[in-house]
Amino acid sequence: MASALKSTTLTKAYRWGGKSHEALRGVSLEVPKGAILGLIGRNGAGKTTFLRIASTSLLPTSGKMEILGHDVVDDCVAVREQIAVIPQESRPFYWMTPRELVFYYLTMRGHTQKDARARADEALGELGLGEWENTLVGRLSGGLRRRAMVAMVMASDAEMLFLDEPTTGLDPVARRSVWEAVRKAARKNRTIFLTTHYLDEAEALSSRLALLDKGQLLASGTREFISQKVKHPYRVVVEGGFTRGELEGYGDLTWLEDRWMIFTGEKEAREISRLALERGARLSLGPVSLEDIFLQIVGKDITKDETEEAEVAGA
Amino acid sequence: MQERKLSSIWSIVSMNGFLPLRRQPLFLINTLTSPFSFLFFLAIVGAVSNHDFIPYGVAGGMVLTVLSIGTSLQSDMTHYKADLKFQEMVVASPVRAGTYVTGMALSELVFSLPGMTVFTVLSLFYAHYVFLGGLVVVASLVLVWIFASALGFTLATYLADVRETFMISPIISIFLTVVPPVYYPITALPRWLWPVAYLAPTTWAADLVQGAMGIKPITLIEGVTDGLVLVFAAALLFVIAWKKAQWRET
Repeated sequence: MASALKSTTLTKAYRWGGKSHEALRGVSLEVPKGAILGLIGRNGAGKTTFLRIASTSLLPTSGKMEILGHDVVDDCVAVREQIAVIPQESRPFYWMTPRELVFYYLTMRGHTQKDARARADEALGELGLGEWENTLVGRLSGGLRRRAMVAMVMASDAEMLFLDEPTTGLDPVARRSVWEAVRKAARKNRTIFLTTHYLDEAEALSSRLALLDKGQLLASGTREFISQKVKHPYRVVVEGGFTRGELEGYGDLTWLEDRWMIFTGEKEAREISRLALERGARLSLGPVSLEDIFLQIVGKDITKDETEEAEVAGA
Repeated sequence: MQERKLSSIWSIVSMNGFLPLRRQPLFLINTLTSPFSFLFFLAIVGAVSNHDFIPYGVAGGMVLTVLSIGTSLQSDMTHYKADLKFQEMVVASPVRAGTYVTGMALSELVFSLPGMTVFTVLSLFYAHYVFLGGLVVVASLVLVWIFASALGFTLATYLADVRETFMISPIISIFLTVVPPVYYPITALPRWLWPVAYLAPTTWAADLVQGAMGIKPITLIEGVTDGLVLVFAAALLFVIAWKKAQWRET
């Protein structure tokens, strides 16, 4: 299958305080056309830097990246014809209505007025903005403003969409309307590149995942492929019936206030289940969640801020 | 392609010009405040000293109104880049940098139109246009517009926050409107300041506008020199914007 995005040993270093700080370290990643790629990582992992290079806003320090077969540095004009982006923390013009935002964004990109109107109708409806389409953005809630931004790029004819944390600040219902719009775009064979630190979002939306930490790509592929890469593909939680010493040999053990959680292999999970049944202990068992996978691969919870860590280390 | 560019420019002018003006008409008064404040002071000083400075105030008002496009452009573009991240959305689209800047510069012109209209009407009462003077004034102001827009865009791509524009704008204003004889004849300046004044393109623009409006005598050679310097300054700033503006971050 043809690639929508292909990066080869991509690096980006920023200079400040007389030192070079590497935001990306040799990232090689390939995303097939029509995929929804969820790039996950903690704050400061390099997700936005990677997305900004891909969307031609930022130059890489070294390495290569192609979008839909065009080099992002040497052939950026061709890339820009086929992409659209919602930057992180972007905000719409407060003096415009959602309908005007979508309409003028499209005509700015070169759509005819008739086409822009039709596309605006569709996108605003899809994102549940019909009721507010003629209300000034300044009077809308943060969630509705964010949805208006999503509607702008979704309505475009761009073949590849870059969404940098598109659902930050949205309530669960609004998030789901964005998810549905993303899925619909993918069904039209558009490629979606999504960064998020909401693992449920990445899991619900993405056909492929990439895990980034400290500027390095730690894993990429389908959810199933990444699951197979982790040392312990099962998660067992037992309440009572066991001592620490009895469970220690089965895998990675964590005490959760009143019960034990063990990341373990299939054979070991069966063994613990059998013992738990014999001893009458409460037990739950299942494959690891994306959060568990992240914890196992990265070694830290996704909510732990990388920039905070760097500051503490530097202090 | 040409049609798409025009559509892009029209959209940007609508987004940054017509729509905010329609929703907040006070923006119009805002652009009139500085040039009319200067005109007011000149009228008072003229009345006290028994001199007629109003024609200089009218000519200066025209130049300052167009020049303020650059300052506004710089603030708006910095805000759109750093706060709203709109510039990043434009970069990642088929819209080229030149189209974006042209649209933004034209949208700022929309805000200046009422001021320009008032000063044009005033000039009919206070100026004595020389032959083809009206055309010379329009051409001079177009060159100032290009110069100011290119300067505003270039600076905006380097500024990290809109607060930095509050620091830069007054400095530029001193160099482009206070020292240069925009509101008075250059003969009113001490001789030692003349070289400094002549470094600013606005000195040449004001000289040409004042001459074309018949406010002060001007020879053909002086007029041609003023025009050539203005063309050179506009072209130079245009090239600097083309080569040095950071449309894409490094």
